[in-house]
Amino acid sequence: MAIRAERLKPGTGNIGIVFDALGDPGRRALVASVAELGTATATELAAGLPVTRQAVAKQLAQLADAGLLGATRVGRETRYRVTPQPLGDAAAWLAEVGGQWDERLAALARSLSRGRAARRPS
Amino acid sequence: MELHVEREVVFPAEPAEVWEALTEPERLEEWFATEAELDPVPGGEGVFRWGDGEERRAVVREAEPEERLVLDWDDGGEVVLELEEVDGGTLLRVRETSPDFAAALELHALSWSHSLV
Repeated sequence: MAIRAERLKPGTGNIGIVFDALGDPGRRALVASVAELGTATATELAAGLPVTRQAVAKQLAQLADAGLLGATRVGRETRYRVTPQPLGDAAAWLAEVGGQWDERLAALARSLSRGRAARRPS
Repeated sequence: MELHVEREVVFPAEPAEVWEALTEPERLEEWFATEAELDPVPGGEGVFRWGDGEERRAVVREAEPEERLVLDWDDGGEVVLELEEVDGGTLLRVRETSPDFAAALELHALSWSHSLV
């Protein structure tokens, strides 16, 4: 399998982009709020925060650029929802690491049986 | 968020033979990595390289000969290898834990806010 080169590590690839986008506590709180509400607009989110709608809209756009939020234009507003990408990364880790162990353990079984054969008195 | 991969395999071999295969670099190169360096004592270091240029480093957290080997990967993940003598050979139990994605995220947040100071 050629997936080893694409090993998922925090700080690299998609996960790195996710961490960058979530590096700010305000943006993390916004993602949590959107997740809680299901979908939300900048106006709805700003109503409960001591910041302007424009500031919230800018951060939502950054989170959408990072792939954490999906954006749908509804009339004059953009409605955001949380995308399942980080969960996709988790599933990818499980599939990749599980596959690596299956291959390694098969190779270990071969290595052990070769060792046995080599030690068998001739 | 942490994830786990677990596998259990019985090998028709003595625990001592399996332990050698898990800890001796030249044996590790037969099944685990293309190039392996490992000092299988607590605090010992491991470096593993694959043909595609991938390199992973680890520190040995626990090493109980023929029983248990625990490696901490430098990315925050860990792997626990446990041996148990059973009918027909040796049971190897593998448990690899992912880096804690949530903790890494908090760590990143910390360095991010410090960079603003």
